[in-house]
Amino acid sequence: MNVRATGALAAVLLPLCACGPGEERLPVPGTDGALKSAAMVRAELRAYDGAPPVIPHMGFGMTCTECHNPIAIEVPGIGLAPPYPHDGTLGLSGLSRCRQCHVFARTAGVFVANGFVGLPQDLRHGQRLNEIAPPTIPHKVFMRENCLACHGGATAREEIRTTHPERVQCRQCHVEVNTTTTLALGG
Amino acid sequence: MKRRDFLKTTGVVGAAVAAFSCADQQEANRLTADRQGLGDADLTWGKAPCRYCGTGCGVEVGVKNGKVLAVRGDEASPVNRGLLCVKGYHLPAMLYGEDRLKYPMLRNADGKGFSQISWDEALDLVARKYQETLDQHGPEAVAVYGSGQWTVFDGYAALKWIKGGMRSNNIDPNARLCMASAVMGFLTQFQSDEPMGCYEDFEAGDDFIMWGNNMAEMHPVLFSRILETKRQRPGTRVIDIATRRTPTTDYADMYVEFRPGSDLALANGILHLLFENDKLNRPFINENLIFKRGIEDLKQIGYGCYGDDADRYTFKDKARDASLDEMRAFLADYTPAKVSGISGVPEAQIRSLAELYGDRDRGTVSMWCMGVNQHVRGTWMNNLITDLHLVTGKISRPGNNPLSLTGQPSACGTVREVGTLSNRLPADMVVTKKEHRDKAEKIWGLPEGTIPSKPGYHAVDMFRALARGDIKTIWIQTTNPWVTIPNLHRIKRTPGDGRFVIVSEIYPTPSTEAADLILPSAAWVEREGVFGNTERRTQQWNKLVEPPGEAREDAWQIIEVAKRMGMAHLFPWPEDDWHEPMFEEYRSFGLGTGKDLASYQQLRLTRGLRWPVVDGKETRYRYAAEHDPYVKKKKGVHFYKAKDYGERAAVWLRPYHPPAEEPDAEYPFWLCTGRLLEHWHTGSMTRRVKQLHQAVPAAYVEMNRVDAQELGVNPGDGVRLVSRRGRIELPVRVDGRGKPPVGTVFVPFFDETRLINELTLDAMDNISKEPDYKKCAIRVERV
Repeated sequence: MNVRATGALAAVLLPLCACGPGEERLPVPGTDGALKSAAMVRAELRAYDGAPPVIPHMGFGMTCTECHNPIAIEVPGIGLAPPYPHDGTLGLSGLSRCRQCHVFARTAGVFVANGFVGLPQDLRHGQRLNEIAPPTIPHKVFMRENCLACHGGATAREEIRTTHPERVQCRQCHVEVNTTTTLALGG
Repeated sequence: MKRRDFLKTTGVVGAAVAAFSCADQQEANRLTADRQGLGDADLTWGKAPCRYCGTGCGVEVGVKNGKVLAVRGDEASPVNRGLLCVKGYHLPAMLYGEDRLKYPMLRNADGKGFSQISWDEALDLVARKYQETLDQHGPEAVAVYGSGQWTVFDGYAALKWIKGGMRSNNIDPNARLCMASAVMGFLTQFQSDEPMGCYEDFEAGDDFIMWGNNMAEMHPVLFSRILETKRQRPGTRVIDIATRRTPTTDYADMYVEFRPGSDLALANGILHLLFENDKLNRPFINENLIFKRGIEDLKQIGYGCYGDDADRYTFKDKARDASLDEMRAFLADYTPAKVSGISGVPEAQIRSLAELYGDRDRGTVSMWCMGVNQHVRGTWMNNLITDLHLVTGKISRPGNNPLSLTGQPSACGTVREVGTLSNRLPADMVVTKKEHRDKAEKIWGLPEGTIPSKPGYHAVDMFRALARGDIKTIWIQTTNPWVTIPNLHRIKRTPGDGRFVIVSEIYPTPSTEAADLILPSAAWVEREGVFGNTERRTQQWNKLVEPPGEAREDAWQIIEVAKRMGMAHLFPWPEDDWHEPMFEEYRSFGLGTGKDLASYQQLRLTRGLRWPVVDGKETRYRYAAEHDPYVKKKKGVHFYKAKDYGERAAVWLRPYHPPAEEPDAEYPFWLCTGRLLEHWHTGSMTRRVKQLHQAVPAAYVEMNRVDAQELGVNPGDGVRLVSRRGRIELPVRVDGRGKPPVGTVFVPFFDETRLINELTLDAMDNISKEPDYKKCAIRVERV
């Protein structure tokens, strides 16, 4: 692993702001000149929360899972490859065809404007029974069985990063709140 | 590298990420505040099948404030088990393109442009046009052109109105361009349409043989089931028999490339070897099969695309009995050497394929879709694939089936089961048989003799008749013929030509451009519906959101016109509750015939059931003892629907015929057309979805690198494709997702601004009347 290269990359991508509570040196995300927050970048790649992200780069002529494996890796000269969250998803594996769901964006235009407004990411935290109880999982687990893809490692956003990535049996303590319904039946 | 080391070495990045995340947290807080924490749990989730292909994936649809905000693959759906493809995940945006049609629009008197009119005016006008045409020209001058994307309600309403009300058989669907050869394949062999197998074959089978079928793109979710089987059981094999390399080929254990049209010879070559190597299942043959052959004379059959008879192509096959010995003699000609010469497939591969089909210890599932169906001898090719399963007894058993895949979400449910074809009635019945007409008239409460016995125009002929002026009034719903009919120049029209063309659509298309009256339709979950998928699964959904503007569902449009024509008796149900009683009336056609559908109540409560559904129980394997309730045998199979064949299945002897047009000195390339993963048919829905459009914004022509070099063009350069019928310019793609062999090019048909069907040939299958979009001759010129 080339640490220097990683540092340089970070400097390019992420201006170092040692902002403590109350300090702010960066323009507010969403305003001119500001870098986009991870949440915004995440949202831009998806039609709605739960939709597969489009691929934000062109093909590199290799298998997707060479870089996007179950843990985040740094690809020299390119950057961090977000890990593969479907590790453990029933019916999906490294043999699956990623591009069944993930497509490249080859143009910026649209054919016809579209007024679709998708479900935003739910940024509320899971619920705790008391202060020291483990929070529940506030989203569906299906397709996101590899918790550490988003909650651990360098690509995890701070507010959802686990303090204890070494305890790999996440769902021993964190349970999925069942948001599934339920067929809308009747007239 | 261990994860801990990794975390340590990325400390620098970690710090930066942490720092950046301060802003991120603020942004998160802002977003949370803005949206008051809208999440999965705040939506109302309803069920629906996907709007697009014939797979029939279960989708959960998330609704809030009257809008669809999200979908999820339904984890409880036995079809897709939670997965979707990129089209399915982007379903919601399909509803919200800014140019949705919202109001009835009538072409202006000067022929230019359209003006909004009221529904009352529009419906009165449609009723008046149909009535005038009936009065002045008779029932042969009216027509309805429907769709495999119609719900069961739309198709049933249209069928009943035109056959039972207007006494015309001029109803045919776009599925004629898509599945008709499979229909005729099943009918000629089992006297009952639709597959015996089901999706559980994907886990039960060992060898998956795809005939001209790019399943990775066309049925991606089903393909992912096969890939999962392969992961769990590495001995599983995928065989890709094709005319070009596709994403499916990347996952194949064997790629068999044949010359366009020579699949007929290849299948006969495999049969030859099964006979020669004594791989026949004789007890099965003796118990369950008979042998047939039809007319085989090329001159007598023709292709229906040019010549004196082309405008009224009426070939009719004539069956005669054959035998196992006759078949052996018939196949003697198809030696590996000869078949290899015709097809270009190496003899060793032909022998390998024969070994696969002949291996009794391995389950064999054959799959096909447009490659086999859109074929000048599509019915024959369907027959031959099924023959391979019949003579080896590899049929109606888990993991052993010929499984025809459907292209449209209700090609099975609406077209094949309701029978929205020029010669059909519901539940496998035909207008040419008096007892069938009697049954329909009885159920519909109509006088004997109401339904005419002469079949109406099939799709290709319907548009030729419109061009000739024999059809005066036509209503087109849920399909886009001015993009999809082959040899498009032949059906070009100018409004004011004395015909009246009504198009029900959700977005503007080249077909609405050709219309005199445009009616705005409700789409997908904007109305209540029923679709039937490839594996005989009938799926119901409820209306989940309101359609935009004044858009209304297609079935309602038809019912309202029928009422205005004095045919209210056909639709005697309350205006606010007609879906269930209509479905139950339709269902009564199939009860007790082996085509029993589930009750509407049961469909509401389930993720679909596979017919025949008897005593509330679905059937996974038709004709199979212990599976199909109509089979009383303790073991084996019983082809109980084939009454005329002594309740046995028919093996058909079908020869090789060459394609209608082949490359020559003037037009040296094969042109093959087809679909892509990202776009549904003519793209009228998917191109309005940003992510799908951006993935594939425009059509292109795939060429082999050698051909591109010889022509002196680079990827991205424009070339002109010229056939005897038309020409278009397209950018070249080399080594893209598909790789045609030297001498072949491929063009997708989704792009309405680059109409490849101006080049294609309107040659047809002799029996199904399905056109062949997969092979014609063109030349390629540098621009």
